[in-house]
Amino acid sequence: MDAPDDVIHQPIRLRVMAALTALGPDEEGLDFSRLKSLTGATDGNLGAHLDHLARAGYVEVTKAFVARRPRTTVKASPAGRAAFARHVAFLKAIIAGA
Amino acid sequence: MTIRSDEAAATLADIENVVAKVKQSRLYRKAALVIILWGFVDLARDLMIGLEPEWFGPRWFLVDLVGVAGTLALLCYRATLAGRFPLRILAAFALFYAFGWIWSHLIGRFGPREEMAFWPTLFLFGYSLAGLWFGAAFAAIGLGLAALVVAGYLWTGEAFILWQAAVTGFGFIACGLWMRRG
Repeated sequence: MDAPDDVIHQPIRLRVMAALTALGPDEEGLDFSRLKSLTGATDGNLGAHLDHLARAGYVEVTKAFVARRPRTTVKASPAGRAAFARHVAFLKAIIAGA
Repeated sequence: MTIRSDEAAATLADIENVVAKVKQSRLYRKAALVIILWGFVDLARDLMIGLEPEWFGPRWFLVDLVGVAGTLALLCYRATLAGRFPLRILAAFALFYAFGWIWSHLIGRFGPREEMAFWPTLFLFGYSLAGLWFGAAFAAIGLGLAALVVAGYLWTGEAFILWQAAVTGFGFIACGLWMRRG
């Protein structure tokens, strides 16, 4: 890989992908409020970045009602995991080549 | 887009930071259920000893056996999800218990009040040790509650058992709920 992944490289989206890929593929994913605290983003900002990642096929967003309250859960897709791994490898290659 | 090596290093450091937070949060959530369970066990045991000291005083371990069974059930449930049983955690608890039993029954000559202070502080220092590796919350719970147990032993007189019920019972439940929110 000789170019960064433009979808992932943006700092908020990068943190989202880092957080989601830290979980195993069989795990539930992270809810919106947890992602908000991990990324330091506002509601609207995080929502826009999640839309961007979802359109790229990197995350799966599930909306449900739990105890009558809306709950948004986000999970990395297999394509998102692969793209994130490639992006990390690209960053490591830059450092190795410096 | 070109990325300099210092930018790449900063980005990787940012990733590691986020991953560490997620892993710590998962660990806290896993530990929280066991901590809440022991909060209820401690609360029930100490209240029963306080209310029925004659009958329950010598039989306190019956409630602890419920706690041990509940802990094993939780660990077994996790083992089915993770594919392996956390033997090291179980071994650590067994070693702590063995150490406590040797000192409280063989070497030391503890009265009921000393024993009531000894067991919680022993395991709370275990939490503090765990905090050195797994996150500050364990250390805060361990040291904070141990200090309250010692304060109760020294200054609460006859109300020590109720103090213990409040400190270790409600203390563990509150700490566990806080860790689940993390």
